[in-house]
Amino acid sequence: MTSIRIAGVEKRFGELLALSDINLEIEKGEFFTLLGPSGCGKTTLLRTIAGFYRQDAGDIFLGDELINDVPAYRRNTGMVFQNYAVFPHMTVFENVAYGLKVRKLPGDEISRKVRAALKNVHLEGYESRTPDKLSGGQQQRVGLARAMAIEPRVLLFDEPLSNLDAKLRVEMRDEIRAVQKALGITAIYVTHDQEEALVISDRIAVVNFGKIQQVGAPWEIYKDPANLFVATFVGKINKLEVELGEPLDKGLRKAVSGKVEFAVPSPGTEGRRSAILTFRPEDIVETSEETPGLNRLSGTLTSTSFLGTVASLEMDVHGTTIVIERHRPRKSDIPGIGSTVEFAVPPEACLLFDPETGARLGRGRP
Amino acid sequence: MRMGGTKRADIWSLVIFAGFAIVIVFLIYPLFDIFRFSFADKETGAVSLANWKEFFGRAYYMRAFGHSMVVAVLVTVFSALLGIPLAFFTTRYRIRGSSLLSTLSILALLSPPFIGAYSWITMLGRNGFLRNLLISAGIRVPQVYGLLGIVLADTLQYYPFISLMLAGSLMTIDRSLEEASENLGARSIRTFFSVTLPLVLPSLTGGALIVFMMSLSNFGTPMIIGGNYLVLPTLAYNLYTSEISERPGMAATVSIILMLCASVIIVLQQWLSARRKYASMLVNRPVVKRLKGVRSLLAHALCYLIVGLSTLPLAVIVFYSFRKTSGPVFTAGFGLDSYRQIFFDVPKTVANSFVYSFIAVILIATIGTLIGFTIARKRNLFVKILDPLLMIPYIVPGTVLGIGFIVVFNRQPLYLVGTATIIIMTYFIRRLPYSVRSAASILKQIDPALEEAGINLGSPPGRTFRTVTLPLMQSGIISGAIMSWVTSMNELSASILLYVGKTMTMPIKIYLSVVDGYFGTASAMSTILLCVTGLCMFVVIKYFNRGSDTFIAA
Repeated sequence: MTSIRIAGVEKRFGELLALSDINLEIEKGEFFTLLGPSGCGKTTLLRTIAGFYRQDAGDIFLGDELINDVPAYRRNTGMVFQNYAVFPHMTVFENVAYGLKVRKLPGDEISRKVRAALKNVHLEGYESRTPDKLSGGQQQRVGLARAMAIEPRVLLFDEPLSNLDAKLRVEMRDEIRAVQKALGITAIYVTHDQEEALVISDRIAVVNFGKIQQVGAPWEIYKDPANLFVATFVGKINKLEVELGEPLDKGLRKAVSGKVEFAVPSPGTEGRRSAILTFRPEDIVETSEETPGLNRLSGTLTSTSFLGTVASLEMDVHGTTIVIERHRPRKSDIPGIGSTVEFAVPPEACLLFDPETGARLGRGRP
Repeated sequence: MRMGGTKRADIWSLVIFAGFAIVIVFLIYPLFDIFRFSFADKETGAVSLANWKEFFGRAYYMRAFGHSMVVAVLVTVFSALLGIPLAFFTTRYRIRGSSLLSTLSILALLSPPFIGAYSWITMLGRNGFLRNLLISAGIRVPQVYGLLGIVLADTLQYYPFISLMLAGSLMTIDRSLEEASENLGARSIRTFFSVTLPLVLPSLTGGALIVFMMSLSNFGTPMIIGGNYLVLPTLAYNLYTSEISERPGMAATVSIILMLCASVIIVLQQWLSARRKYASMLVNRPVVKRLKGVRSLLAHALCYLIVGLSTLPLAVIVFYSFRKTSGPVFTAGFGLDSYRQIFFDVPKTVANSFVYSFIAVILIATIGTLIGFTIARKRNLFVKILDPLLMIPYIVPGTVLGIGFIVVFNRQPLYLVGTATIIIMTYFIRRLPYSVRSAASILKQIDPALEEAGINLGSPPGRTFRTVTLPLMQSGIISGAIMSWVTSMNELSASILLYVGKTMTMPIKIYLSVVDGYFGTASAMSTILLCVTGLCMFVVIKYFNRGSDTFIAA
């Protein structure tokens, strides 16, 4: 169990700046996720920590040890690979024992540790199987057991679930989390699946264009995004370009998008004429008498989708497409296409962003 | 991929260094000398264009050049005519015994080139039994020597390049592409021309170019059956053996022209294969249709006729090896005289062939695998330079390599002429690029994450290679090594220039026996080579589950 410190790390591939001034502190025993779209640099960062790439600038510390010049095979980081990388010419036992044999452990100790690792991933009794007799999920369990068996200072996960089917993905995700917490190993987890990141992580770093966009707990990332990229990448969100209008009372300000008018929080918008407004589909409320008139919207339903616990309604509001959600929908909550639907957006659900930089306006201000 | 920041010399730097040493000493050095001699005056040694002027000025040389082109074009065309229908029928229609057909055509492909030529002489030569038979039946048959013989023997040996490569891609076209075409309203004939053919065209042209290249640089066939019909390889050989001087001027010039032709073909092939490649993830294999009645009969007849023709020369040789002989002539009845003769008279020759090829293969497999690994996994500047240099042997016909070797290893510091080493090195250099390529392509199918997993688990790169990579490459390496052994056993064009009495090998002895008219010895020795070739093929197919692509790459 080790903390990790990444200070000013930069990595180039030819012209491409894959990592730019990365600074992170990951605590002992933390489950830390690097989340971002493909090509954002998250895997590059993970592979740099593993020692498969050498950064062009900056330092990486495992605990107090500077590991810049430690070769990959001496870093003692247990990696779980996207395509499992289970050695096809070895049995399950031999796979898990591989790192222990390299470490020249006595035979009985190897055997004990392999069994313990396989027990952790619920693969007891599979010792003499060969990988071609295993399902994808089982192969990834072998990969996980193999990485854990060496008692690494940190577990590195490179999109380990992306090749599994949806149901298994959820199951494995919970297991990875449970095993990591039980053993208390620091873990760095790379994924492009925002839902997976939200569920599994203690903290998330959202990465794009080789830069850290925001670091925070899942709740913070979702509810309090630092910029437009984080807001749109994590979860569903409605996005409108708005003209900012006159101030209203209670610290609100008018915002207009075409014929739609909103009351939005004014802090941070001083002196601005335009902004990007976002709100999440699930934040809308049913209209009632006390909702402020300004945020009441009505639109024509253009399509609906029913997802069991949620119904998602897509509608046309004066030429702007807006998606709202209704939870635990009853039949009457999903009207026919073409019906008029009324709803309201609470002002506190409205987030505003700078149209040029994407920076959040008024974040952390009252 | 760099492992950490330590910059110590590891095993891979050593491999790259060895790769460069081999390329420089055994390729660049001899080829440079050939180049130098072609631009040198015969008497004074001064730089001169005399050889080149002479080549382009004299009809004798230009005629050989023309002959080579005629042979290559005709062989390619006829190979396509045989190969395309064979590939199409065996993959799309149910042909009984189609795996036997492909095995026999691979055997024809791998058999030493001079065996086919020599066999056609016994059938249709001056005193050929088939010719005599036909003449006594009143049919006038020309003698097989010259252009006719070369084209006949070459075509029947090389057409499998086209049929096997084409069959390979016909079998891996996704069926749904053709179904999509038919679903969109195209009739099956139109589907064939607008979908199927364009998809398999890259492998058809690829196969055709290999055939062109092989027939252009083939030495054994024109040497044995060509008579006065000189082509570039036989011209170079004749020039070299008659120019007893230390400066092989004209032979060098002819060699360079041969290499230029070969380079053009290689560049064309690279360009074509880079331009059009349709990777298919192979979801649905194409359907094999069942033909009925006369159509089925005709399809079978055609396929068996083509393969039968190419197997005929091999069968004749085996048959003749068991005929009774008296000295050089066959007598009535059957016996093992010819084999007895070999094992009493020239056991050393048989042993040489086996020993030299074996040593060469050990070198080829180990060094080829190590270099292949650096090329596939370590892309640094040195590797990027080494990689294309290793392509050189592809464009160096055996005759040219032989001349180069005899020129530079006939003097200090490396005096190798007359040794077994020079023959072994010939085998080694000629096969090395195939081995490097094959190792690199096996590695492309091994996920680099497996090696990373090994390293991540604490195993240093060398140990990871030994415990993870090598075991996964093993079957590919062994089947590649077996193929190298076969081709080394059958090597003639370079070793015929380099051998001395005590380093004679079987192909050389066969050639000399044919020239001297000892057909019995030649047949028996050819049969031994054929058996070795067939046995190796059997092992590769049976124990390594390799498809026909292994043999084409050979």
